[in-house]
Amino acid sequence: MKVLITGASHGLGRALTEKLLAEGHDVFAVDRDTDALDALAVKSRGACKPILADMALGQSVERLMREIAGHTFDLVILNAGISATGKFEEIPAAAYQRLIAVNLTAPITIASRLIGENMLVAKSKLVFISSLSHAVGYPGASVYAATKDALAVYARSIRKPLAKKRVGVLTVFPGPIRTQHAERHAPAGAKASKRMSPDILARHILKATRTRKKELYPGTQAAFTKLLAGIAPNFMTKMMRRVIFEKLDDNVY
Amino acid sequence: MAQQDAGALNILITGATDGLGLRLAKFYAERGNFVLATGRQSITDDEAFFGTDRIRYIVADQDNPNAAAETIRLSMTRLGWKSLDLAVLNAATGWSGAPGDEPSATVEKQIAVNLTAPILIARAVAPFLFEAEGQLTLIGSTAHRGAPMFATYAATKAGLHGFARSLAEEWRGRARVQIIHPGPTRTTMHAKAGMKIGMARLFFMGPKRAARAILKSIRSGEKTRTITRAYAWRALFSPSGRGSL
Repeated sequence: MKVLITGASHGLGRALTEKLLAEGHDVFAVDRDTDALDALAVKSRGACKPILADMALGQSVERLMREIAGHTFDLVILNAGISATGKFEEIPAAAYQRLIAVNLTAPITIASRLIGENMLVAKSKLVFISSLSHAVGYPGASVYAATKDALAVYARSIRKPLAKKRVGVLTVFPGPIRTQHAERHAPAGAKASKRMSPDILARHILKATRTRKKELYPGTQAAFTKLLAGIAPNFMTKMMRRVIFEKLDDNVY
Repeated sequence: MAQQDAGALNILITGATDGLGLRLAKFYAERGNFVLATGRQSITDDEAFFGTDRIRYIVADQDNPNAAAETIRLSMTRLGWKSLDLAVLNAATGWSGAPGDEPSATVEKQIAVNLTAPILIARAVAPFLFEAEGQLTLIGSTAHRGAPMFATYAATKAGLHGFARSLAEEWRGRARVQIIHPGPTRTTMHAKAGMKIGMARLFFMGPKRAARAILKSIRSGEKTRTITRAYAWRALFSPSGRGSL
């Protein structure tokens, strides 16, 4: 199987890449920090192909598209994402522009190009990583929440047109993950042990890609939260304010 | 612009040269409020264009979100505004077609105009809104739940919806945040997005009625509203006072 994955060097992307390589697949691993992928590339004897690209930059995304031109993929995971947490009006405009570029413009651009240039073969799967915030809102990260909601609805919109080409679309809504990224943006005193390990999440995602599942709320915590949000959405958003926004001491972006 | 009248409100409306934005701007100005209207085109005579001296027009092209937000902030300061009672962020652009045919430049443009710009404008006017305990009204679309033939447009509107939801909670007690989703309306929007509507146009809501419905929803301050025909019909019978929303 030939796989394309963005944000492959760290966190969830790293866990997915390692699992896919262990299963013997060819992985085009995209990240702005490819040094972290060098050891994997050597160990996998070339099955891992690191590609340097910064999703915040339009030209960089263009270069990525040129580098993978002519290839077709069986699995594409648009995973790269960043965040900005704190008081909405205090975070600089440039941080929001970067956040929207990485979390939204890049995945939509890449997806539409892959579709338009017929780089997704029949029976292939296109995976978007949204967030559990799609179900509960995220006071203290309203722009992050906006990008993840937008991505989820983009995925929903293209599902039917892609089904005609026999390409499946899976959207994942993970809750907090035990990564450095989550650590930086979590409120002080939040317990890391309550976050899902990237390895377990990667296993959930890869399992779902082999089924016809359209949306994945991985793990019991995420599934339960989604259920509660369906019953009392406003209450859940209020709770998010109390457990997250009111405990954020700093703006992190 | 004339001196501040007692009871008159300061109101910002983006995308106000056309369609719903223009109707909202005129409505509020006619009721004695001061309106800062934005758009892309240059207008030499504000008063002749809008038919009132209570609307001040500035060019703020949301293709460049940062510049648009800064221009708006500077203009409010120059007008001597210390507070903002209502910001209606209405400007938007669309593109229609199959997802694989969508040019990257069009993806970027829709995200800039429909999502990044309102976010940066909200950020720029936040201190003014807090001063008045005012209201931020975002204009979404019923497409925010997903639409195969305008996937990116739908995504930007879903982004606005999510932004409003989280920010409303974050700003609770300081300023209201609201999102209104109008359904298909007989404005120039669809033609500009390259859509051929044909007979379906007959089923679209008239712009006058849609504007009345939006005004009613703004007045109520409710967090979220989808403009259905039933709601628009009820809006015809709702009163509207002078010098207030």
